[in-house]
Amino acid sequence: MDQHVIQVNNLTKSFDGNQVLKDISFTVNRGDVVAIIGSSGSGKSTLLRCLIDLEQADGGTILVDGKALIENGVSVSPSQIKKVIAPMGMVFQHFNLFPHLTVRENLELAPKLVKKMKQAEMDAACERHLKQVGLFDKIDAMPKTLSGGEKQRVAIARALMMEPDVLLFDEPTSALDPELTGEVLAVMQELAEEHMTMLVVTHEMGFARGVASKILFMNQGVILEEGTPEDIFEHPKHDRTRDFVSSLSNKD
Amino acid sequence: MDYFMTVLLPMIGGLGVTMGIFLITFFVSIPLGFGFTLMTRSRFKIINAIAEVFIYVMRGTPLMLQLLFVYFGMPLLPVIGPILTFNRFPAACIAFSLNYAAYFAEIFRGGLLAVDIGQYEASKVLGLSRFQTMVRVVIPQMIRVSLPSVTNETITLLKDTALVTIIGVAEVLHYAKAAVNRDATPFAYLVAGLLYLVINFVITLVFKKLEEKYDF
Ligand SMILES: Nc1ncnc2c1ncn2[C@@H]1O[C@H](COP(=O)(O)OP(=O)(O)O)[C@@H](O)[C@H]1O
Ligand SMILES: [Mg+2]
Repeated sequence: MDQHVIQVNNLTKSFDGNQVLKDISFTVNRGDVVAIIGSSGSGKSTLLRCLIDLEQADGGTILVDGKALIENGVSVSPSQIKKVIAPMGMVFQHFNLFPHLTVRENLELAPKLVKKMKQAEMDAACERHLKQVGLFDKIDAMPKTLSGGEKQRVAIARALMMEPDVLLFDEPTSALDPELTGEVLAVMQELAEEHMTMLVVTHEMGFARGVASKILFMNQGVILEEGTPEDIFEHPKHDRTRDFVSSLSNKD
Repeated sequence: MDYFMTVLLPMIGGLGVTMGIFLITFFVSIPLGFGFTLMTRSRFKIINAIAEVFIYVMRGTPLMLQLLFVYFGMPLLPVIGPILTFNRFPAACIAFSLNYAAYFAEIFRGGLLAVDIGQYEASKVLGLSRFQTMVRVVIPQMIRVSLPSVTNETITLLKDTALVTIIGVAEVLHYAKAAVNRDATPFAYLVAGLLYLVINFVITLVFKKLEEKYDF
């Protein structure tokens, strides 16, 4: 039963000859909060997107709950892909709320269409998750009337509606005004405390240090260093890691 | 006033024909145009090419020529001519629907391009199928972007229906011309113009309401 929620072995990915991921391997255990850090262009987003089939890796293996998404460079069938990525949710830098739907409709669209959930059940879940992100009063609002921080919290609630085993976050606070990042990070911290398994690409060193159970430092398409926040922040093995961490931490 | 009625009454009959062509073209060319939009986005090169050529030809040649071709030209084609022989009214509807489908296809193509890639990605990670994504997420946003252009095109369509007098369809302009020739006064033209204005007023109102509904 010591199955990893996510297991990645020797993952590679190129965009027209430009190798963006080089031999990536790591595992994620249930309840882990993995912060993926590294400078811009190091391949963090591409890695996250490969896990949920928004990009297709060229080589290597990805197992989600023990089921292969790609095995030794060979993708499984489209219907199998759908099944394998179903237990994962994703939160994007630019929220990607559905602008033509109210907050409630944003939350209920997928449960209705994909899970065929009953209306009463959906409404209850909708209420629960909106309260969880502190936005129950916005249930009938249109996305354009929300602040960036509120949009992102709705996006998190929308992902939670599908009851994911794993949540992927790609720079969830990077598009926000600095004073709005706190409310989103607080929601994520609460999720971490409830033992939600999360992979978070972030430049928020405070979050990585305080909330993550494990940090991956990526550099030029490889995981240069991997460890606990203590390892990465207090005893980095590589100069690059130290330089990166200190340059970002000093900003605050 | 009496003269106004003698000019207006036959024109009301013509108005039915004008509205017939207008409504049929509108309700056929919009779904047809969207079909061509989807074809231009197909993975299959040949389907792409068919749609591109269709749109290019329809937009690159005069509507009047297309009208003449459908009504007078197609029946003269060898072998298939007899099957492609239509009465005036259906011929007008066919030419207009094909022509306007090409314009609507281009409008919808622009509307689809305006939908952010993030909308497709969010739909995918939530588990929506391609079809559900299209119908529930993409098309409503495409409609919002396309509506102003569709309004313009629809107003143009109403005015273009006057072209069908060239193949002898008895619509509003046909009766106006007859009255002007008969009575040697331009009054009937003014009445016809008024009719087009009134209908366009209604069209504009309807689309305003639609734009309000799609203002999200
Ligand atoms: N769709 C794409 N096509 C071509 N190159 C891409 C694409 N996506 C990312 N890249 C390239 O891959 C590299 C890594 O990008 P990314 O994974 O977004 O890095 P990060 O998220 O760490 O900033 C960059 O050089 C970027 O230009
Ligand atoms: Mg990125």
